[in-house]
Amino acid sequence: MQGTTRKKIAKRQWKEWGEGYLFIAPLLLGIFVFYIFPFIQNFWFSFNEVNKFNVATFYGLNNYIEMCKDKELWSALGNTLLYVGITVPVGLMLSLFVAALLNTKIRGTSFYRTIYFLPSVTMSAAVAMVWKWIYNEQYGLLNAAMKAGGFSPHGWITDPRTALFMVMIVGIWGTVGYNMIILLAGMQGISRSYYEAASVDGASGICQFFKITVPMLSPTIFFVMITSVIGGFQVFDTIYMMIGKANTAYRSTQTLVMIFYRNAFDYGHKGYAAAISILIFSIIMLVTVIQMIGQKKWVNYD
Amino acid sequence: MKRMRGTKVLAMGMALAMAAMSLAGCSGGGGASKGGATNLSFGIWDEKQRPVMEAMAQAYEKTHENVKIEIQLTPYKGGEYWTKLEAAATGGTAPDVFWINVLHAEDYYDGGILLDLNDYLKKSDLDLEKNFPEALVKAYNFEDKQIAVPKDFDTNALWYNKDIFDKAGVAYPTDDWTFDDLAKACKDLKAAGLDSGAYPFACPIDFQTWYYPTVYANGGWVLNADKTETGYNDPKTQEGIQCWIDLIKEGYSPSANALSETSADAMFEGGQLAMVLAGSYMTPEYTSNDAINTKINLVEFPEFNGKEPNIINGLGYAVFSGSKNKDAAADFALWLGSEEAMKIQGESGVVISARNDAQKYFADSNKDLNLAAYTNHSGEANPLPVCKSVAELYDVEAEALKAAYSGDKTLADVCSQLKTDADAILAKNKK
Repeated sequence: MQGTTRKKIAKRQWKEWGEGYLFIAPLLLGIFVFYIFPFIQNFWFSFNEVNKFNVATFYGLNNYIEMCKDKELWSALGNTLLYVGITVPVGLMLSLFVAALLNTKIRGTSFYRTIYFLPSVTMSAAVAMVWKWIYNEQYGLLNAAMKAGGFSPHGWITDPRTALFMVMIVGIWGTVGYNMIILLAGMQGISRSYYEAASVDGASGICQFFKITVPMLSPTIFFVMITSVIGGFQVFDTIYMMIGKANTAYRSTQTLVMIFYRNAFDYGHKGYAAAISILIFSIIMLVTVIQMIGQKKWVNYD
Repeated sequence: MKRMRGTKVLAMGMALAMAAMSLAGCSGGGGASKGGATNLSFGIWDEKQRPVMEAMAQAYEKTHENVKIEIQLTPYKGGEYWTKLEAAATGGTAPDVFWINVLHAEDYYDGGILLDLNDYLKKSDLDLEKNFPEALVKAYNFEDKQIAVPKDFDTNALWYNKDIFDKAGVAYPTDDWTFDDLAKACKDLKAAGLDSGAYPFACPIDFQTWYYPTVYANGGWVLNADKTETGYNDPKTQEGIQCWIDLIKEGYSPSANALSETSADAMFEGGQLAMVLAGSYMTPEYTSNDAINTKINLVEFPEFNGKEPNIINGLGYAVFSGSKNKDAAADFALWLGSEEAMKIQGESGVVISARNDAQKYFADSNKDLNLAAYTNHSGEANPLPVCKSVAELYDVEAEALKAAYSGDKTLADVCSQLKTDADAILAKNKK
């Protein structure tokens, strides 16, 4: 008796499940073909030597052992950490600042919002080209301004000491607009009554910002932080476009994804490249987990 | 309830859309023959050569009515052409006939994606040994299998800006110049005083056009015959590189640093350089630039160590081994090496046709310029040193030489470390 009812329920449930899966099938199939399968294949490739034409021969842990000995990879990891360590906090603070400004009742807010959002809808290749010209030692806008101000010109993106920072500026400039929009949306979801009450109690604007806006906005800030950190670890296109191989600052601007790209597509060491991508994945995973644990201390979901 | 239905409808719609898309995706592939006609795809990477490739395809279609040739252009920049070709070859959808260069030939041969043309060559009247420079034919021959028909070649020559020479009152370069004449002209030009930001010459860290020609003319070497060792430690090799570094030290050239940002070509085209070395493939760009094209000319690469230095490199037409129309594709590839095709290509003046009897068309294409400077000594030129790990090798070489070009380290120090690193790469990839 008991068995039959269970069976009946199971049958109905199966049907329901089946329908559900049928409906999500198109998307699930896409995710499987374009995300899950390549991920598994990539993991498998990291234990193989894979040539340009995807012929794999088992290589054990050798790719990972080679990775440990690869000085260039470790310096690239250092560059990447520096990139994330600077662009994420600076970018976050800037976008928070801009969002707060645009949340006030000034004239032409939609105009400013459009201006700040513009870099997010511009092709990164075009952005890189324009910045490359701005930084150019001989013909660039920046050095022209330096000269006019009485300073001597500088090879901004050819000097290994400054190149990475110059690239960071472009990175921050490119993401502030997008983050600003998200933060702005969050800010507008905060009830005015908190601010009114605070005003009545005599709290200043700055005090209101830190005591009301920031805590109320913490889930949004957390989201922006997570996505910026992930984006920062995956930085590639602007650096690839701005710093060519002949550039003297090439080594000092290499990021993990750059090394991955070169091994996979320039040298045809796809197995090694797969191992690098697993390293990138693990680092991002680790940092994200740490952030997820850390958020309990400061993110306010009430 | 109503909302549920809406979601269901939406989901169904999405499902249908996805299904339709996947179907469309399937029918898009293939390239199967339609009504008896054979469709051949032809992969190239140079926009400037597209018109002449189209002209050649049309000429072929005229005599082969049942063949339709479709040109697929993928830019070379950033390795895009190769990335796409490798992915397509893996998936079996590479173009039937495509351009290949010596840097990729061996890897592609090993990967088994290039059709062995021996049988087709035997049957045809195209005699590669007789009609093409040996260096180019050999560059595409592995284990006695010919895997490509030589297409064109490039060598290097010295271009100069007549305006700058006139203003400085220095005599124009000539075909019989030596390296010392070049250095002396640099000195005279500098002494005469050039415009601010202008230089007599430029020495970027460029192997093919600058230091390999002098390395080989000086009796130096880069790779040994069995490709297990590099020759950076040989003093003769180093002399062939040092000569360019010396010109930077004298202030005759911008720093390698500055040249990495604003290329020598760009400076020459901007009228900022009196002289520059350039591969023959730069000719269309220089001659189509209205800012300089009326005031430039060229001479042969200056003699070094009593020899005519040069590096010869060239492309080839290869056939995809997974092509559905192998025979038709091979026939087209071989035809591209014929007198007729090579003439069309040569007369365009865009590249030097590889075929011996068609080389002259390049020089004839522009009577105002001394384009024969590129072909006069092509027989004495050295082929580009290549091996399977060549992309990695060139990268470590260029990266290491930066310290020598900037003067931070001596060339000898740089080269001894470079040899260790480069030999390690050769050993690693030899397996």
